[in-house]
Parts: sequence; structure tokens; C-alpha cells
Amino acid sequence: MRNLATLLFLGGLVFLLAAITGTLPFGHPPMLVGQAIQQAAKPEVGAANVVTAVVLGYRGLDTLGELAILFAAATAGGLVLGGVQAKGRNNALPAAGFVQRAGTDVLFPLLLIAGLYVVIHGHLTPGGGFQGGVILAAAFFLPLLARPSESLSHIWLSVIEGLAGTAFIALGLGALYNGDAFLTPLFDKGMFGELVSSGSLPLLYLAVGLKVGAELSSLLMRLAHDDGAAS
Amino acid sequence: MTDVSLAVVLPLLGAFVLPLTRHGILRSLGPVIGPILLAACALILFAAWSAYDVPYAVALGSFAPPMGITFYIDDLALLFALAVPLTTLVLWPGESDPAATGRQSLTLLLAGSLTGLALSGDLFNVYVFYELAAVASYGLVVGDGRSPAYVAAFRYLMISALGSVVGLIGIAIIYFKTGTLNLADLSTLSGELADPQGLAAFAMLVIGFGVKAEAFPVNGWVPEVYGAVGKRVAALLAGLASKLAVLVIVRILILVFPHDETRQLLLVLGILGVAVGELAAWQARDIPRMLAWSSIGQLGVVFVAFSLPGKAGVIAGVTVAMHHLVVKSALFLLADRWDRAIESLKGAASTSRIGAALFVLFSLSLLGLPPLPGFWSKFLVLGGLAASASPLQLLAMGTILAGTVIEGAYLLRVVVTFYARPDAAVRVPGQRAGNLLGAGLFALVLLTAAVMINPLWQGLEVLAERAVDTNGYQHTVLGDREAGR
Amino acid sequence: MSTSVGLVFFIGAIGLCVIGIAGIVLSRHLFRMVLALAIAEAGANLLLILAGYRWDAVAPIFTGTAGGQAMVDPVPQAMVLTAIVIGVGVQALALSLVIRIKERYGTLDMQEARQCMQDDLDDAGGVTPSRSRERPAGERPIPAPTVLNSTGGQHD
Repeated sequence: MRNLATLLFLGGLVFLLAAITGTLPFGHPPMLVGQAIQQAAKPEVGAANVVTAVVLGYRGLDTLGELAILFAAATAGGLVLGGVQAKGRNNALPAAGFVQRAGTDVLFPLLLIAGLYVVIHGHLTPGGGFQGGVILAAAFFLPLLARPSESLSHIWLSVIEGLAGTAFIALGLGALYNGDAFLTPLFDKGMFGELVSSGSLPLLYLAVGLKVGAELSSLLMRLAHDDGAAS
Repeated sequence: MTDVSLAVVLPLLGAFVLPLTRHGILRSLGPVIGPILLAACALILFAAWSAYDVPYAVALGSFAPPMGITFYIDDLALLFALAVPLTTLVLWPGESDPAATGRQSLTLLLAGSLTGLALSGDLFNVYVFYELAAVASYGLVVGDGRSPAYVAAFRYLMISALGSVVGLIGIAIIYFKTGTLNLADLSTLSGELADPQGLAAFAMLVIGFGVKAEAFPVNGWVPEVYGAVGKRVAALLAGLASKLAVLVIVRILILVFPHDETRQLLLVLGILGVAVGELAAWQARDIPRMLAWSSIGQLGVVFVAFSLPGKAGVIAGVTVAMHHLVVKSALFLLADRWDRAIESLKGAASTSRIGAALFVLFSLSLLGLPPLPGFWSKFLVLGGLAASASPLQLLAMGTILAGTVIEGAYLLRVVVTFYARPDAAVRVPGQRAGNLLGAGLFALVLLTAAVMINPLWQGLEVLAERAVDTNGYQHTVLGDREAGR
Repeated sequence: MSTSVGLVFFIGAIGLCVIGIAGIVLSRHLFRMVLALAIAEAGANLLLILAGYRWDAVAPIFTGTAGGQAMVDPVPQAMVLTAIVIGVGVQALALSLVIRIKERYGTLDMQEARQCMQDDLDDAGGVTPSRSRERPAGERPIPAPTVLNSTGGQHD
């Protein structure tokens, strides 16, 4: 009986959503804003990757909000999971086997390079601060799995996080100093398609990448070290 | 003119900087950063208000709309934007335990995002700020570490995330149909959104943003969360955050979906909210849950008020919303120490004379006793409903009147309990000075509004006229290109 | 051909949304609700990305080759980038809450956890619960059963 009710509910929802979205113009979107941005992105922002131009330029405030959401989630997660664990508690977990330890030692620098590459080239190829930041967080999570007794310092992670977030906002506020609105791209646009181009966009993404990497590493560490502390 | 966006950015900056103050040198700065930044935001908004003449738009990043994000500043936006830092300052979490930096960061993020909701003129930007407010409030609900708070926070998170998924589908449908996200641009295309698909998208947006606005299908989280959480946080959520969520829905309604069907949807949701809220409040046996259900009821009245067409709707809605902001925040502040069963608070008046007196004042205003502002707010709503007299609106009128009677029943029951002779066995806690001060400030605002009805009325007329002037909005934001490309 | 491909995309997006929404609404297990949330968010993001797709268009990146080709809409891609990150944050927080609820109340069932929460709130507020509890109220132990001795009398 319960399964029948579930099936009816599912069927009803599918019907409702299909009826609503059935006649949408797939493949031929009206593209009012999209068209205008594609034409204006090269002269105005100078980034080869138009999505980065949108994320950091045209919709930069959304990106700031997104950073703040990740920060809020990490802070709330920190409040839920309790504070920094005492150093002695991790010794209960033994180090992992040889394959994992050796593999981690090989992969760690490779992942770091891959993450930094994705972060820095965000304005030229698909990628950017968020994607690269997640790769960096994964890079710092592997040693945690291999050798649980050695963990990163929470203090350093939160300092990096705070400074990177402040740097992002400072770059945005710098434009106010010039008399423009908040988050106007600074610096010269440079040669199109080069690594050093499109003004302050690579710097913004670098700040984003460091912040996201530090935040997710810290969150993963807290989840890993949670021993059910009765707080 | 670019300064107004600082009112959104400064609290975010403060939130990012606060965790740095846990270590070493900056430790003394920690507790003061938040209040200083909020005071700075309030000053910036005051300056903007005094320099304000006609509505204007700020293009963020110096990118021309509709490509970039714009902030739209008019009377309505400034009123709500100004309410945010002031209310947050009064309700600032003042504890100094180790987790305090986290809670203060989250409060600053809540303040920044709510200001952004008031000022923003872009649909997806509104969604992002709404999500920021939501995640910050999940964290604040958890903040004290009491066990029931975790379950309440989880349920709130699930309902809110479900609403966000539905809201995102609604935004996808709107983008599919129109190709733009700027509210002014969408306003010029509102004819395309008048078909059933567009109305379905509006309903999805109402479900999405209605979670914080305690709208009918998605308000199951309210009594649990307000019961389980510290009452100062409940005051922030019930008093402040819900109003900004309603403001967002109303802006989208006026600009993009100004049709009869969408107004009827708000009316129906409002009627349901009033009916369920007031009846459940009557059944509640402890103060926090009574206040929580009562808040659902009052927000139902707000929805009914905003569903009235034209200027009358905006005036009535803003009056009820602002009145509820002041009264409900103050009531929750008073309930901070008195968060227990009503019977066990017998004789509370002898323990805290001022607290009980303030409670009486706010209850009378909530009921609608002249000359308190609550009377004017209810009068405007009922007057507007009586003017158009369709069956649905008569039903709304009857529901609100019946709701007022029920309100009187449960509020006066509490007041009678307070002023009864105290039970020798039960000890009623007194009020904390900080909460009394906050409630006193709110009472001052209430009484000032009661005295200055006339200038307030004129200000509200101008506010409403500018708020419903969609052509003016389009012209201000988009310049002279008003038709589609 | 093109309409059927479009149909597949839409069915995929709607299907994911429906499975996710149904999971959140109908499920009783906390962890399954979080998983359903992840699925629903994936479906909504897919629907949003589909809003920018154009037939025979390339990715919105200016490569060295002489442009002029149509590009897909970059705005939904930026929107989905934001939405995915928001989803990640919310899911991480939800998981932390699940861990804490399991540790505090010992159950991962939504109904039981809500019942424990209501009991805790009632106790804290001093409200007598409106329903009867199966176990005896307060600290009063269940009285030991009286034992009949062989002579038919009672002693306990």
C-alpha cells in the first residue's frame, strides 16, 4: 500500500514537471543577456574563458555570495562538530598500509600542481578557483587518510582562509578607490589569451582557490577527526 | 552613490576577518568588530537616506545592466535595508564563550545577506543572498549546542533545501523563457511570463523564498526551531529575516508577475497562514511555541495585505510587516528568560514589573488597540479588503477578524497569568538587563510611530507610489532602452 | 533526431528532480534524505544548464582559431557553478548534523528523532506532554512483580 502511494506520488510529480517544462524552447534559447555578454566579454573583460568573465566580472557579487555561503557552511559545520580536537586523540588510529602511504606520497605533489594549474588558468581554459580549490582540498585530504596522526594545523588553515577572503573583498574595494563601483576589474587587460591577462581576474580566482581549498580541507579534517566527542 | 553597496560588503568582510581574531595579536579586536561594522553600515544607509531624492540604480562592477548586477535604491529598499543593521545591533549575540566568534560571523553574514536582499535588482543575485541568509541561519540555530536544536536545524535545512531546489527550477523556467535575469528586464518581458508556465514558475519561486517567509506549505519548521533555539536568534529569524523574504516575493510579484492569479495565490496562502497560525497558537501551552505560531499567523496577514492590488497593498503590507518586525522581535526578547510553560509563569509581573508591562504593551499593539500602530496596520488591511469585496477577500476579512479574537484570547490569557498571585513553589526567573533594554528600545520605536502617524503616512504614500511604478523602475535601471531587443 | 536527444535530457533532469524531491518528502531515514537532496540538486542544476544549450554551438571559450562560431550561453554555466557550490556547502552541513543527531539521540529515524526533540523541549519548558508515554513517568521504577509462595500467600 505504501509502495502504491509512493508510485502515485512519483507519477504525479513527473506529470506535473513534464507538463510545466514540456514546451520550453530547448536548443533555441532566447539568449538576451548571453548574446550581449559574448559580444562584450572580449573588449570589456579580456578573458578568453567567457564563463570566467561572467563569474568574476559580470556576476562578481554572486561569486562573493557563494564564497560567503561556503564560509558559512564551514563555520556552521565547525560549530556542530565541536572545536579543534586535542592532539592526542588521533594516535588511536593506526597509519594506513604501505600502498596507501606510498601512493599518497606520489600523488600529493601531483594533485597540488594540478589544483594550482586549474586555479591559475581559470581565465583561459575551463576551470577556476572553485574547481581548483576542491582539487587542493583533496590533495590535503590524502595524507590525512594515510597518516591520521599527522594532521594539518587548524590555525594555519583558518588564517589562510581569512586572508584569502579578505583579499577577494579588498580587490573589489580597490575599485571604489578609483571611483568605480564595487568589483570593477582592476589592472590592465593585457594580451588576450596570455597567462597574465584580464586584469585582476586571475588574482581573484587565486584568492577563491586558496579560500575554498583551506575551507574544505578544514571541514574534511573535522569530519575525519570527529570521535563522537560528547560535547 | 556607490557607497550603498558597502552596506552589503562590510558585514561580509567582517565575517571573513572574525576567525582571524581568535589568534594572538588581534584577540582584543574580536568582540568589537561586529558592532562597529554594523554601526558603519547603519551610518552609510542613513547618509544615503538623507541624500536620497529619487530612486536610482547602482551597477556593480561598472557593467551595464542587464549584463551585470544592479542594485535598485528606492524608499522601500532603503526602509528595509536600514532596518537590518539596526535590528541586528539590538539583537547582537553578546556572549563570550569560545564558539562566540563563529556565531558572530554567522550573524554578520545574515545581516549582509539581508541587506543585499533589500537592495538587489537581479533574480539570481536574490537567490544567492537568500541562500546565504539560509545557511547562516542554519548555523545560528545550531549555535547553542542543545540537542533538540540539532534535530530542529536538520528539519529546517531539509525543508529549506527542498524549497531552494524548487525555486531553482522556477528560475530555470524563467531563464528558458526570457533569457535574462535582471528584474527590470524581466519586467519589460512580463507579458511573456503571463501564461500558465510563467505562473507555475512564480508558484515555485514562492515555495522557494516562502520558507523563510513562513508561507503556508513550507512552514512546518517554525515551531520546532523557535522552540529549540535561543530566543535572541529566534527574534532575528522571526522578526527580521522573514520580512526580507516577504519583500523579495513582493518585488518579484509587482515587477515581473503583476497578474490577478498571482495575487490570488498570495491571498490564499495568507488566509491559510492566518487560520492555522492563530488556532495553533491558541492550543500552545508554552510561550516560545505560542509566539512561533502567532508569527505564522501574522505573516499570513502580511501576505493578505500585499495581495491587494496597487498602492493600497504596498502601504498596508509595509505597515503590517514593519509593525510585526518591531513587536515580534521584542516579544521574543522578553521570552528569552520566560521560555517555559505558561502556567509556570504565574506571577511573573511581581518578579519583573517592566518586563510584564512591556509584554502587555506589545500584546495590545498586536491585537490592534488604537492609537497603537497595530490598530492602523490592521485597519489598512481590512479597509483594503473591504474595498474590493470579492468572495475570497471577504473570506480573508472574516479570517483576520476571527484571528484577532483568538489572538486576544491567548495573549490576554498570558497577561492574566503574569499578573496573578505568584505560586509559592515555583520560582519565576527575572529578565536580563540586556533583553529589557532591547525590548525597551523597540517599545520606544513603537510609541514614536504611534505619535508620528501623520508624517509616517505621507512617507508611506510616496514609498508605495514609487514601489508600484514599474515603468519608472525599468527606466531608471535600463535607461531609455525599454522595449525588447 | 534533435528532438529525441532534447527529450532524453529533459527526462533525465526531471527524473532526477522527482526522485530527489520524493526521497526528501517520503523518506524516514536521515541519511537517505541527505542523499535525496544531493540527487534533487543535481537534477535542478541539469535543468538550469539545459537553459543555455544551443544546437551545433561550441563551448564559450575564445580559442586561437578564428571565431565566429556560435557559442552556448555562458550565464547558466556561471549560475550552475554557484548552485553546485551552494549545494556542496548545504550537504556538508547536513551530514555534520546527521552525525551529531546519531550521537545525541542514538537514532537515524526522523520520527524517533523528532519525538525525542519534542520530549526534550517539553521537559525544558516544563510542559506536561499531551500524549501518554509507554514508560512510567519520572524516575519511578516499574514495581517488581509480587511472588506467590507455595502456601498461597503473598510476599514481595
